Amino acid sequence: MTQLGFYFNQTRCIGCHTCAVACKDWHDHQEATLNWMQINTIEKGVFPHLFLAFIAVPCYHCEDPSCMAVCPADAISKRAADGIVIVDPDKCLGREGCEKTPCLTACRSKSPQFGPAPDAKMQKCDFCLDRLEEGKQPICVEACPMFALEIYSMENLQQKYGEQKEAEGFRYSKKIRQAAVFTPKPEVFS
Amino acid sequence: MGQTDKDIKIVNTGCCHDCGGRCVLKAHVKDGQVIRIESDTGEDPQIRACMRGRAYRQRLYSPDRLQTPLKRIGEKGEGKFKPISWEEALTEIAAKMHQVKATHGNASILMVASGGNQGMLHGALPVGAMLQGFGGFTRSWGIASYEGAMYASMATYGTIRTGNSREDLLNSKLVIMWGWNPAVTIWDPGTSLMMSRIREKGIRIVAIDPRYSDSAATFADQWIPIRPGTDSAMLIAMAYVILDEQLQDQAFIDLHTVGLDKYKDYLFGKEDGVHKTPQWAETITGVSADVIATLAREYASSKPAALIAGWSPARASFGEQYSRAANVLTAITGNVGVNGGYASGFMRAYSSRETNHKRVIAGKDSEKARSTGNPVEDGAPPRQYALHKLFGGTNPNSARIHNAKVFDAILRGKEGGYPADIKMAYIVASNCLNQHPNTRRGAKALKALEFMVVHEQFMTPTAKFADIVLPVNTFMERNDIAPPWLGSPYYIYLNKAVDSLHASKSDLDICRELSTKLDISPGMFQFAEDDILQGITASRDDIPDYEAMKRDGVVKIKLKEPIVSFKEQIEDPENNVFPTLSGKIEIYCEHLAEMNDPKVPPIPKYMPHEESHDAALSKSYPLQLITSHDKKRAHSTWHNVPWCHDIEPHSVWLNSLDATNRGIVDQGSVDVFNDRGRLRIPAKVTERIMPGVVDIRQGAWYAPDEEGVDHGGCANVLTKDEPSPGGAHPMNSALVQIEPTPEGAGRKK
Repeated sequence: MTQLGFYFNQTRCIGCHTCAVACKDWHDHQEATLNWMQINTIEKGVFPHLFLAFIAVPCYHCEDPSCMAVCPADAISKRAADGIVIVDPDKCLGREGCEKTPCLTACRSKSPQFGPAPDAKMQKCDFCLDRLEEGKQPICVEACPMFALEIYSMENLQQKYGEQKEAEGFRYSKKIRQAAVFTPKPEVFS
Repeated sequence: MGQTDKDIKIVNTGCCHDCGGRCVLKAHVKDGQVIRIESDTGEDPQIRACMRGRAYRQRLYSPDRLQTPLKRIGEKGEGKFKPISWEEALTEIAAKMHQVKATHGNASILMVASGGNQGMLHGALPVGAMLQGFGGFTRSWGIASYEGAMYASMATYGTIRTGNSREDLLNSKLVIMWGWNPAVTIWDPGTSLMMSRIREKGIRIVAIDPRYSDSAATFADQWIPIRPGTDSAMLIAMAYVILDEQLQDQAFIDLHTVGLDKYKDYLFGKEDGVHKTPQWAETITGVSADVIATLAREYASSKPAALIAGWSPARASFGEQYSRAANVLTAITGNVGVNGGYASGFMRAYSSRETNHKRVIAGKDSEKARSTGNPVEDGAPPRQYALHKLFGGTNPNSARIHNAKVFDAILRGKEGGYPADIKMAYIVASNCLNQHPNTRRGAKALKALEFMVVHEQFMTPTAKFADIVLPVNTFMERNDIAPPWLGSPYYIYLNKAVDSLHASKSDLDICRELSTKLDISPGMFQFAEDDILQGITASRDDIPDYEAMKRDGVVKIKLKEPIVSFKEQIEDPENNVFPTLSGKIEIYCEHLAEMNDPKVPPIPKYMPHEESHDAALSKSYPLQLITSHDKKRAHSTWHNVPWCHDIEPHSVWLNSLDATNRGIVDQGSVDVFNDRGRLRIPAKVTERIMPGVVDIRQGAWYAPDEEGVDHGGCANVLTKDEPSPGGAHPMNSALVQIEPTPEGAGRKK
């Protein structure tokens, strides 16, 4: 099985949110609660010795996804062909129908999300399956003005960018094995 | 639903508001609706849109879009309007304009026009043409973004074309980003990407900024925080070190500049007894003398080096002096006209707009240069402090009112020394109440007008004061051309993607219809949109094929080599002069010297003012306010777009020291105030701004309560409306105080 993964060049990211808004536009997420791509800011230090980094947080399509493990309805699965973690809306019990919505707490990246409607089904980043099927990169990748993102097979990404599994604001877990490769920003203070 | 959906048509258009870019957008249109947006997927260099362009559907289809012409029924500023028909609106406007013209003359009609909704055709252009045809109008001058930098560029180089292609920075050994934050302000698409490539190549980058900006944090090896308004002092001290230690490029100076001796008299104390040493600058700037001297030596010895002097430090009282000091520093180190160097100045690189730099000989052609065909201003003498002997800068006509003084001019008219008594304002593509300094004076002024028309897409703080508001369409609903912003060689053709929403119309069509009621000769209005756009294209030899541009949506011009401004002058000075009066780079500017006024010294100087960090007023208002750009907006445009707005709350940045002293907590509600006004927003307590400085990003919409406290966080409630002689707006020269509100103070317990 090929595992698709996410590459993020943290040294390039200017925190412009273009990837996040492009994602909302492509998937037509008018709701403020839906952010398949999130941007977190890491600020450290005391004036004038500072460190600032941004981290782009899509779904990292873990090899052993914690959301999948806790779902009471078996609504979350991993595609055999590419490892993309998907939700079956017919099986998902919905925001109010599911007693504990354990997927929300299981995922450290807050990737599983619900719209505001009581019967909203869980949804999350799917690496733009519709675009991948047409041979295009996901919209976040195509949108990034800094050419800092890429989505490809983990094998390919590791060959191209090395095997760095962590970055500022992101910790790798051996248990869930997030499918991501980074060029992390070195923690150098101004 | 994939892209291959046969019902989807992809329309090539582009994003065109008043930011530092013009970017490719591809609108996916289905059943007459834009259903999503892509950006440039074509050949390199791709012109990728930022978050703002990507969010455009929420602006286009906003429930707040103005749908019909509106007539005010409430008090001015209250925002109560009733819908009326186009016929009724235009008939009333025409009747009122005829009346104002007959009673008070054409000069009493003021056009306020900005770049808020513009292309090469739509926006202010048709309104100006219409008002000119009506017998003329009073117009304004002084662009908030760059007027100080432009004046300094003209005084030093005689031109605003002083920039280099961005890729030429790869030839630099050192890049200094001075008050320059392209990660947010774009500064031509691709600039931030190029800054990353420069960093990745191992070229050293230094950022000078009171804030640890996104650009400083991402690109720079060194960050030098500096007190706002003191940049010229640091640049002057750098010149002192370079000349004192003989690090200057004397051959370059001898061949290409005039007046270094006069500058030396100032630097070395001959003029005023003060040596402009790094120690002198340290007390002013808050930057240590060592850091100043080290950067000076590094800049002079890392040839070629690029000093990019951003416009924002020039958006200050005497902001011209900062730009002049930067320009002069590039010259004395020989970094002008060479690959990898940078002349600073206004920094336009590619342009087909002003290819002929003519020197205008005093008293002969200067009247011609001022002539605009506007009967109200033709024949008016040059205004005081204008560089009227030079061609290509700001029009020096004295019948114009500086943008920062428009409100005062409305209130005081000829008695206050202004060229006209203003009775009516015609406002297009401008949220001037919000974006000109001193908003509360603005509100008074707009209330004093007899009649006010606004072309708008939304009910902005400005539009609320109008008598008639006309709904204007967006670039998605019309055809237009976007020129390069400042330096990149391309044009974007903005194909109309969908029909005009609601009853909105283009600026061109509004003026076309209104002109017939104004009984004026049709002029440009006899032509269709496409004819005019073809005409614009035909006058440029860098757009070879109009139809191809329209089809492809973009023309990327391939340059044989990167643009390096003044390369000809440096390589072949015999045959190429600088377009200044002396034909050389003017360290000492004779044109300024003739004015014989200490407010416009012929050499760059550090000039404190009544709202400097150490002025008497700082006892009551000890914090310096800067009003930076926000990545979520282009000035006040996009303020009301949720996808942008939701990214982070609008807040005032202040350092933790200033917060702790005042009992202010992060996200706690605070009042920011001075004698001009008071606003109430959350605080962002951060280490990313130097102590003593606070930042409110300009562009948030003014929303006063009954006591006049602004809850919208409009920075210009606090800014002063006294421009510098050269026209620099003083948006970054305001002293303020901050205190927690009762509610905000309560939060800390």
